[in-house]
Amino acid sequence: MDLSPVLTGFSVVFEPQNLLFCLLGVTIGMLIGVLPGLGPAATIAILLPITYNLEPVAAVIMLAGIFYGAQYGGTITSVLLKLPGEASTVVTAIDGHQLAKRGEAGSALGVAAIASFIGGTASIILLSLVAPALAGVALAFGPAEYTVLALIGIFLVGTLGSGSLIKSAAAAGAGLLLATVGLDPLLGTPRFTFGTDQLADGIDFVIVAMGLFGVGEILYNLEHRDRPQAAVPAFGRAIPSRVQWLRSRLAILRGSVVGFVLGILPGGGATMSSLVAYAVEKRSAKDPSRFGKGAIEGVAGPEAANNAAATSSFIPLLTLGIPANATMAVLFGALMLQGITPGPALMTEHPDVFWGVVNSMYLGNLLLLALSIPLIGVFVRMLKIRPGILAPITIVITMLGVYSIRNNAFDMVLAVALGLVGYAMRKLGFEPGPFVLAFVLGSLLEGSFRRSMRIFGGDVTEFVQRPLSATLVGVLVLTVVIIPVLRVVRARQVVRAAEPAEP
Amino acid sequence: MAEHETDDARPEPEAPAPGGRVLAAVAGAVPVVLGAAAAWLSLRLDIGTLTDPGPGLWPLIVSALLVLTGAGILASVRRVEGTEAFTRGAIGVAAAAVGLFVYASLFEVIGFEIPSVLLLTAWLRFLGRESWLSTALLSVGVTAAAYALFILTLRVPLPHLIAL
Repeated sequence: MDLSPVLTGFSVVFEPQNLLFCLLGVTIGMLIGVLPGLGPAATIAILLPITYNLEPVAAVIMLAGIFYGAQYGGTITSVLLKLPGEASTVVTAIDGHQLAKRGEAGSALGVAAIASFIGGTASIILLSLVAPALAGVALAFGPAEYTVLALIGIFLVGTLGSGSLIKSAAAAGAGLLLATVGLDPLLGTPRFTFGTDQLADGIDFVIVAMGLFGVGEILYNLEHRDRPQAAVPAFGRAIPSRVQWLRSRLAILRGSVVGFVLGILPGGGATMSSLVAYAVEKRSAKDPSRFGKGAIEGVAGPEAANNAAATSSFIPLLTLGIPANATMAVLFGALMLQGITPGPALMTEHPDVFWGVVNSMYLGNLLLLALSIPLIGVFVRMLKIRPGILAPITIVITMLGVYSIRNNAFDMVLAVALGLVGYAMRKLGFEPGPFVLAFVLGSLLEGSFRRSMRIFGGDVTEFVQRPLSATLVGVLVLTVVIIPVLRVVRARQVVRAAEPAEP
Repeated sequence: MAEHETDDARPEPEAPAPGGRVLAAVAGAVPVVLGAAAAWLSLRLDIGTLTDPGPGLWPLIVSALLVLTGAGILASVRRVEGTEAFTRGAIGVAAAAVGLFVYASLFEVIGFEIPSVLLLTAWLRFLGRESWLSTALLSVGVTAAAYALFILTLRVPLPHLIAL
């Protein structure tokens, strides 16, 4: 492997100006990510406009910072308030919140930061080794393969959360439909534009992400604004004790491996892996009864695993151009905004950009560790601000951000409308994740489907006659069979993990 | 260990109440209606053939997916869970959304400062029940901070009245 682009990437990333952007990204990522109810996808969506006006390298580095900061922000709320920002930190809340109740929130968060750093970094190293090989294979892909691949991606995201599969499919259908608004990609015929020029260019992905995740989540949280605010427990010191470190050490290593392996699988990688890591720790512990009552391994293992998985889920995005989950879908949109199209061609044609993205992930991880331990106290104070004050501030920043993308007030109307759609989806039990992912993949799926049909002369069976696409169809069929089984297993693990270990 | 017990007694954020049969039916009806409407509009576009797909073919396929999944949800109304009952708080959500639409429509007419102060005031005072004093301080302060961040620092051309 030619190492020179890797090393050039490092020298770019460690320029002082870029370090500053990453630092800024991690800080505001944590700052917004710590707001209860806003998961990483929503956080990144809200912050997208900030990176919009930067040059590509700085923007990507800042995004990596925001990504890791937002992930960690979710960990802070699940430990302190038992309010996980997304499914992958649900298990962290089990033992993490017990530790917080004992006044050891600081060391729980400290261990979580160290575990996230080790899991993430190990995963980036493995990614650097695996990704080039995978991208090499993907270069041989034609329209038929991309059609099947996009279908696999959309299908697997149905496993993102706990929603029913059929509702996820319906949400994906709505996302695909929204993606067709605008001019036909091949023929230029206006579709679903209702005669307005505003819709002729289609709907910008950033508007969809900010509306559905950003505005939608804020509106959703608004409904329950009268709920009593959970008290923030005492915080303690952020540096874990020797005993806690000795207990967590192996858990972190095991969690990293579990996370990396499961994270490559598109779909529920991070969630699955945190649950599996928790189960592994509970099973291998000398005294499993400590779990559920504040075992530090129950924080260390899953946190290493979900960060490793979050990182290795970059592999399908960077090598195939297929985002594996909602957060990746938002990052996919963010990279596209910068003129970077993730996919197999990225590594061969723009190795500097590819390694720039990978290396900024190292930096994001490192700065997360460096910032989180001294600054946890500051972010914890954020949690004491009343939601009644945070919501209006967040909504104004979001609205101004939406406007700044195209300097167009119509986009704000769209974002609010999509926010209402997101709110209604939450109330009716549809997950916004599959919707957004399908929206992102919509034009790729339609374009490659129509091109394949032309190549195949209208014969759909050609999809299973070409060896590469037939293999992928096999994978698709396999996932259709396996995923429901995995969901059952996962449901059992959640039940087992959540079992209160009564004294 | 008494202090731990008081800790446990503090209210945990409760789970929202599940919705009833009606909401579950609505969850299925929406995709069906959406799919049917989209199918009708796609048919008015050129469908083409499988060999040479027109602009309407793909939307038609997607509409079919929507109608089928919606029908599936309707068929399993008894089993499919996951809806949430609307509470009185939903009125606040609707009011907030109307406020945001008004905000977006005033924005390009009179600049961002006055609508922002008004929006913040409405949310802080009526949705957040802050005191008038903190409402006034926060809405002016946040608008000023947004001015500094977006117009002075990021140089985003937001429509504004006050030129600095």
